[in-house]
Amino acid sequence: MILLNSKLLGIVLGFLSGVGLFLITNFLVLKGGPHVGAHLFLLSNFFPGYRVTFLGSIIGFVYAFIVGFVVGVVLGAVYNKVAMA
Amino acid sequence: MARALAALSATLNCANCLLEPVLKLRTERVKLRVQAEVDISSLGAGLPVRDDNTVDGPLLRAFAPLHRSALGIACGLVVGGLICAATLALVIHGRHPNVKLYLLDEFFWGYSVSWLGALIGFLWGWVVGFILGYGFALVRNAAVWMWLTVIRSRAEMEQYSDFLDHL
Repeated sequence: MILLNSKLLGIVLGFLSGVGLFLITNFLVLKGGPHVGAHLFLLSNFFPGYRVTFLGSIIGFVYAFIVGFVVGVVLGAVYNKVAMA
Repeated sequence: MARALAALSATLNCANCLLEPVLKLRTERVKLRVQAEVDISSLGAGLPVRDDNTVDGPLLRAFAPLHRSALGIACGLVVGGLICAATLALVIHGRHPNVKLYLLDEFFWGYSVSWLGALIGFLWGWVVGFILGYGFALVRNAAVWMWLTVIRSRAEMEQYSDFLDHL
């Protein structure tokens, strides 16, 4: 059976989710319009400080990286624990 | 008597003379056959023959199967935990009118944005995550197995493609 590297999985998932949110935010910022990112802005309920602006995209990157990292580490740790049992 | 012995000796010498080339020829043929078998097995139609049957560690790891139940449990825990955390964040910090997380009750029977709803959401998320993780591992293992079967079949076909040339 494969065993997963928890930290590596966390870094990969964190980076992917962080870059994803960063790109989506900046895409909406560049696109412009009367209500920029009206729905994406709702993420500020979970990520305090997040806005649909360039600065907000950097803050969002940090938040999404943390969430992705935690998800990856938990996923890898639980998988390894159960697979080795 | 002496004459008879001389005649016998001459006969034996002659027999030796006759047998010697036959024996030499037979020995040469055996040598050639062994050499040909060694050549064919070592060439293997371009495939290197390994003395041992050991497989490299990284190669073994690349094709090793995923533990289905373990991945299911891990994904279930993560998905359930995310739904529970999102619900608790809304319960604790107050609901934003536009955050419609309660719509999850369309799929998760009994779910609501409340303390009890967080627990129910965790259970539903665990079930959904388990199915996703288990299904992913199942499909991935099946795909790797099929891939290995194709690779092995191709290698065997390639190995025996010039089989008739060696006859």
